Amino acid sequence: MLKRIEDLIGTDCPDLPALLDGLPMGIVMLDDGGRVLMLNKALEALTGYSRDEVRGLPCSHVLRSRACVQGCPHGREEGPGSGVETDCINRHRRKIPIRITPVRVSDGNNRPVCVLDVVEDLTALRETEARLSQATGQGQIVGRSQAMEKLLRLVPVIAQHDSPVLITGETGTGKDLLAESVHKASPRSREPFVRFSCGPMPEELLDAELFGRVLDNSGELKPGRFQQAHGGTLYLSEIADLPLSHQSRLVRFLDEGTVLPVGASKPVRVNARLMASTAESPDKLVQDGRLREDLFHRISAIRLHLPRLRERGEDLGFLLHHFLGQYAARFKKNITGISPKAVRLLREHEFPGNVRELRNIMEFAAMVCTGETIRTEHLPVHLTGHLDAGTTPRGADKARKTGRKNTEER
Amino acid sequence: MERRVLITVARDEIAPRFDLTTEALLLNIAENGEIVTRRSFLLAHASGDELCDLALSRDIGTIVCGGIEDEYYHYLRWKRIDVIDSVMGPLERVVSSLAAGRLKAGDILYERAGEPA
Repeated sequence: MLKRIEDLIGTDCPDLPALLDGLPMGIVMLDDGGRVLMLNKALEALTGYSRDEVRGLPCSHVLRSRACVQGCPHGREEGPGSGVETDCINRHRRKIPIRITPVRVSDGNNRPVCVLDVVEDLTALRETEARLSQATGQGQIVGRSQAMEKLLRLVPVIAQHDSPVLITGETGTGKDLLAESVHKASPRSREPFVRFSCGPMPEELLDAELFGRVLDNSGELKPGRFQQAHGGTLYLSEIADLPLSHQSRLVRFLDEGTVLPVGASKPVRVNARLMASTAESPDKLVQDGRLREDLFHRISAIRLHLPRLRERGEDLGFLLHHFLGQYAARFKKNITGISPKAVRLLREHEFPGNVRELRNIMEFAAMVCTGETIRTEHLPVHLTGHLDAGTTPRGADKARKTGRKNTEER
Repeated sequence: MERRVLITVARDEIAPRFDLTTEALLLNIAENGEIVTRRSFLLAHASGDELCDLALSRDIGTIVCGGIEDEYYHYLRWKRIDVIDSVMGPLERVVSSLAAGRLKAGDILYERAGEPA
């Protein structure tokens, strides 16, 4: 028998529907069987259903959220105020990002009365997040080449799992961004993404930085990077720079999910996904004894390789205009293009610093450009210095052969 | 002429969402409403794309489902597949209503017994 709201709450609060209607977020009141007792006005607008139409129906059919289908949020034993971010499809076939926060309502004797699901529409937040991410260019890896498209297609798939990831690629190819992209696409995206560079550091300090430290005076744990990344992702860049003794502790974490803070007698359980990167060949690192073989086999459960910029084909032209647009917007300049000669000069450059170097060049060019077109004189001197000789390094031979000077700006 | 119908299923009811469905029921319904054949399909994982592929490869004329995203709806309509969406209710009741030619988009076929007047 479906109960009346007044029977559940009593007569002390007869105007509960009016109260819930006044709230800006969606509210659905459910009985103990998960059937809908009422929707407030905000949720009626979001789902497209009126409260009378859906009274007594299973909530999963009314909200139609991913969380309802893949793991009902009511079964979760989490702290108060914890919600689940998901999406729903409303009556008008619109997919809406939402957050559902279940609130259990009990009477004075702590007997459960009903459940209120608070449903927040995250559309505006997601749009802002996307706009900010585009404006700052952070956390977004882009590419049009076949190699990059193949890699980017893997990101959402890899993101759904908790297996460790090893990212390889030369400096400046975007290892950190790729790791962050995987984190952002994962169910852990609301939790921290902690980046740690395994550069040279005294071992004791490294211990405390990574695994935390129990303070002598109070016995409190000062969290290390592992504890900071709890629930989220810990990304270790240049993992081979980590001393071998610390590498063995990573093996233990990957096997048991625990770390031992400095000064602690018992290991602490940490729920973090581990990602690592190296600019060198991991196989060679193992051969040279700089990377423990057991760690290599565990950390490379998923292995991603970022190609050099020169191996990314059409990406050079695409990234050139991508960064140009980004920095022109940031510096509030009306730069609309780049001269063919400047493009030729860039195409002939080797880019040992890969995408990072290209980005820096375009930042410099956009900064110094005063007109609408980036020309060679706006490029950094290390690219244009040899132009005094009338040729680019690679173009020198060609110019010699054709007898033509490469000086006119077209 | 027989109608080929695909119904998205979750346990013994219509699946709440097309793109999250892992089970489908395929029916051949004769003009007089008789169900000629009835086959169940289990998908390896939930995927709206794969369901669309399944519908196209099986020459489906009508899909019955719960919530469906605009993108899939218009794609299926473009492929000349009728979509009866936003249907809620127990599977057998939906099948009966469909066979009788009464089922329409947005139908709620749950029995709300015990509802106080």
